[in-house]
Amino acid sequence: MTDILRISVPLTAWLAAFSAVYGLQGLVCSQRWADAGLDLTAGRIAMMVAWAAAVALQLVFLLALRSPRFVSRSAFVRWVSLMLAISALVATLWTLLPVVTTSACL
Amino acid sequence: MNALRRHRELERIWSSRPGWRGKLTTVNNNDIGLMFLFTAATFFVIAGILAMLIRAQLATPRSVFMGPEIYNQVFTMHGTIMMFLFAIPLFEGLTIYLLPKMLGTRDLAFPRLSAFGFWCYAFGGSLLIFSLLAGIAPESGWFMYPPLSSTLGSPGINPDFWLLGITFVEISAISAAVEIVVTVLIYRAPGMSLDKLPIFAWYMLVVAVMILTGFPPLILGSLLLELERAFGMPFFQVEAGGDSLLWQHLFWLFGHPEVYIIFLPAAGVVSTVLPVMARTTLLGYGWVVAAAASLGVLSFGLWVHHMYATGIPHMGLAFFSAASTLVAVPTGVQIFAWIGTIWKGRPEMHLPMLWILAFFATFVMGGLTGVMVAMVPFDWQSHDTYFVVAHFHYVLVGGFVFPMLAGLYYWLPHFTGRKRYFRLGETAFWLIVLGFHGTFLLLHWAGLLGMRRRIDSIEPGSGWELINLLASIGGFVMAIGFALVLIDVGVNAAVAVRGRRNPWRAATLEWAMPAPSPSYNLASLPKVLSRYPLYDDPDLPLRIARGEGLLGNPRSGLREILTVEIASGRPNYLVIFPTNSALPIVMALITGGFFVGMLIKAYWLLPLSVLAVTALAVWWAWSLGSSEDEGPQPVGHGLALPPASEMERSPGWWGSLFLLLANGVFFGSLLFGYAFLWTVAPNWPPPTLLEPGLAGPLLALGGAALAFGGIRLADRAVRRDAAPWLGLLLSLAGLAALAAAAVTVLARTTHNAHAYDATLWVVAGYVLFHATVAGLMTVFLTLRASAGYLSRVGEVRVVRLWTDYAAIAALLGLGAAWLPVALS
Amino acid sequence: MLVAISGCEQRLSTVHPAGPAAEAIATLWWVMLIGATAIFLLVAVLLVLAFRRGEGPSGPEAETRRERVWILGLGLGFTLTVLAALTIYGLVIGERLLASPQPGLVTVRAEGAQWVWRFSYADAPGRVTEGVLHIPAGRPVDVEITTADVIHSFWAPRLAGKLDAIPGHVNVLRIEADTPGDYAGVSAEFNGRGYTNHRFTVRAHDEAAWDAFLRGETR
Repeated sequence: MTDILRISVPLTAWLAAFSAVYGLQGLVCSQRWADAGLDLTAGRIAMMVAWAAAVALQLVFLLALRSPRFVSRSAFVRWVSLMLAISALVATLWTLLPVVTTSACL
Repeated sequence: MNALRRHRELERIWSSRPGWRGKLTTVNNNDIGLMFLFTAATFFVIAGILAMLIRAQLATPRSVFMGPEIYNQVFTMHGTIMMFLFAIPLFEGLTIYLLPKMLGTRDLAFPRLSAFGFWCYAFGGSLLIFSLLAGIAPESGWFMYPPLSSTLGSPGINPDFWLLGITFVEISAISAAVEIVVTVLIYRAPGMSLDKLPIFAWYMLVVAVMILTGFPPLILGSLLLELERAFGMPFFQVEAGGDSLLWQHLFWLFGHPEVYIIFLPAAGVVSTVLPVMARTTLLGYGWVVAAAASLGVLSFGLWVHHMYATGIPHMGLAFFSAASTLVAVPTGVQIFAWIGTIWKGRPEMHLPMLWILAFFATFVMGGLTGVMVAMVPFDWQSHDTYFVVAHFHYVLVGGFVFPMLAGLYYWLPHFTGRKRYFRLGETAFWLIVLGFHGTFLLLHWAGLLGMRRRIDSIEPGSGWELINLLASIGGFVMAIGFALVLIDVGVNAAVAVRGRRNPWRAATLEWAMPAPSPSYNLASLPKVLSRYPLYDDPDLPLRIARGEGLLGNPRSGLREILTVEIASGRPNYLVIFPTNSALPIVMALITGGFFVGMLIKAYWLLPLSVLAVTALAVWWAWSLGSSEDEGPQPVGHGLALPPASEMERSPGWWGSLFLLLANGVFFGSLLFGYAFLWTVAPNWPPPTLLEPGLAGPLLALGGAALAFGGIRLADRAVRRDAAPWLGLLLSLAGLAALAAAAVTVLARTTHNAHAYDATLWVVAGYVLFHATVAGLMTVFLTLRASAGYLSRVGEVRVVRLWTDYAAIAALLGLGAAWLPVALS
Repeated sequence: MLVAISGCEQRLSTVHPAGPAAEAIATLWWVMLIGATAIFLLVAVLLVLAFRRGEGPSGPEAETRRERVWILGLGLGFTLTVLAALTIYGLVIGERLLASPQPGLVTVRAEGAQWVWRFSYADAPGRVTEGVLHIPAGRPVDVEITTADVIHSFWAPRLAGKLDAIPGHVNVLRIEADTPGDYAGVSAEFNGRGYTNHRFTVRAHDEAAWDAFLRGETR
């Protein structure tokens, strides 16, 4: 059970963060955001903070999977979970990069 | 006991009843796997004929072969049947047949559930075929965008066939997925730790989890659209607060993972067959496992790339464009791992290998065009043109059908026990491959020249005429090729000469049994020491037949099987499987009554079928387990294992866990829909918000606490051999309070007033449903306890899982319903 | 005659662009076609070579070396590099095509319905044309796209990509025609039985003709 978690948690966290930032972007560009008296700069800052938090979370997973407390007893699971944690980190960096490069609401 | 007597005894225990009637009551994975494969092949022929009708229509300009009212049904049903009734059931059938054998066990985790799934598939599929024959088939395209598919665009019954028929069929996908996950996790040969899993099992584990998380959004979308069509609940109607884009999100939230759900089993077949054809082992096993797993998750971050042209801001599209290119990386890892595997070995050119090479050529092209359409600007031009049509046929035919044909010819000796003698297969190969590329290669160009998909005729002078004529010729060549494959397989299965065991000299355990496989699969369960058991010990099949593994001595007519600890593969419990039963088919028929009642608006059928299904479910569950505390039983080699159903983590608990995973995704999608409408739909906020009042929240909080605490009290009582009545009663009271809390929401809203009200209805209905289910389970538990069945905690843990889920769903769902007012 | 036929055949062609947006996308297509062909040939050559050589060395060291070449090198390194470059190129082009504020902008409105397109003009209030959208040539035009019933999609392939008409939403598409002339347009999201013939024309005028249109002199 815990081995399954080791394998699945980092990428699932990527998916959650990815969907959340996409949802946040939808909110920032919606009428509700303007109704709340917020502008696009605030929106972009919020998204950048969310992105940074997601990256930090992935780094935590990576460290945890290497620490003696959380490491799997099976060498194979250890290796696969580490690879998947690295790919989750790359995915978080890569797929949310548009937060800083793309125009927000056009 | 000698090998022959053991074989006869096991056959008597595990086989279905003789004759065709035996197929109606069989729960054996060999039968059900083949039934899935035959039915899927039948649907493939039907959808193939529809494809030929399409190519006939488009062969010449201004064709009057079919009018739009027929043509639209034809292309809608071609896509629908191929995706839902062919592709998914085909790999499910293959998996149901093969997986237990590869894992070195005797059957799938829940045999009666396999049978129930098959009948749901067969009946649901028949419903769709009926609509086609009656000329009232769905005609809004296979992704059924509202408002075109809703009452505004399609007032007739046509879309209802799609929504209800497909949902009915999806029951089989979900049940097969639960089976596959639980089987891979705990039903394996002793010693088969995670790193020794056959690669196909890893792929199917990923696919099954993807089905459990990918299909619920579609089931939710279908439910909402059906509610809109039947009862005017305006989820997708913009005037009343709905938004048609919600459908697109829910559909593609399913639809994109779906593409990988179809591709990954095929990749599993390639990873299994290709090393054998190259006389070596798979290069980078761990890398391939990691690639498959990351592909599985990444594919859930792509859904918006089907919606680039819907006006979503560029940053939103950019996220999905980046994710769509990233997903090509694990795909690339697999492609190069496979090519490296061929480099490593000594490839031999048998028919399965030919199909794998066709897969490479075709799928790589489809992947490359896939990366092209992942580019937002290019998609703005190519979206909904024949470029995209050509792209996904390259991916689906190249990436699914060709590997499946490789698999078909690879495992054909296993299915038939015969050596292929007639060589029609090679001719068919060239006809299909050349016909396929003849059909689709140039259609890319037609798309770039502006040919839209789904047009019912082409104009003269458009520049697409020649391409389409060639495509139609190619299509018919391909169809002849597929007909030859069917003939080839049929003839070879019927009259070819007997072959020897393990003709390909493969290493996996499905070849460690006689072919065609006996109903019990393995006469005894061998100890597995590496990924390649038959390379380690070529005499293993003999030793298995001699009963040298575990469970080699069949005992008093019981279908015995054992479970293992997940990571290490150490055997831990004994399971007795249920035998042949008419329960699954009857249950599927009655479930069908529910869907038909909905379809023809005979609503009196709904409560009747719900009651009947409940009664059958109780009967189904009651027949499991035993009233005696049996204790550990001998399984051979001096080992004794306790029965699994009494344990804290019984197979039923695992099954429930993964069913609840799918259920949780369904509920999460519903809450997503609620939030989506709130932020994006134009006519929000709604005119009136629901006032929570005092009673509802109090009932919900108190009920959740009671249910949560009560079932734990009962759990503790059972563990201490005390009477569980108080705990069960408290839990039941808590669940009743949760149901009452949900009713307060239903009572204070009008289901069709606004999308807001409609959504709250579904949320509250969902809570009510789960409180009722958990309540019924608690009553069941009480009856079991009084009948003396509850000496161990196994069943309590299953009910505890469902009770906790009901309580959490109630708090989240009703909380979300009351939150807006509480905030304002 | 030949010119006339080929002209006709290019009516809806994305690879015969007549405006800046379609032009940028056509260039993207040709670049991707060249790149994809090269990658396909690479894979084909690797596959052919696999059959032409003998069995390689075995043992754990050979296996590690193979994993490094095939998986780390080709599978990860090669694909990541190519895809990163392409993604950035695609996003830069996408960014350029957006309807960002700009001087000299003309705004028109397109309403799809089963099965006609109706167009109205910010500069000529009250003017509604059916089936023909009038625009000035050589100037950026924002088309505000909406629908009266089901989902449609506005697509004039030689000018720009397509954008959907979604109930309750207004989507803005930037188009521009380099030279005056008629450009074919179609509905590009399946919308029922009249889908095939749900078309329109974009008529780009030179400056004088555009003024005349705005004054109501063109029908």
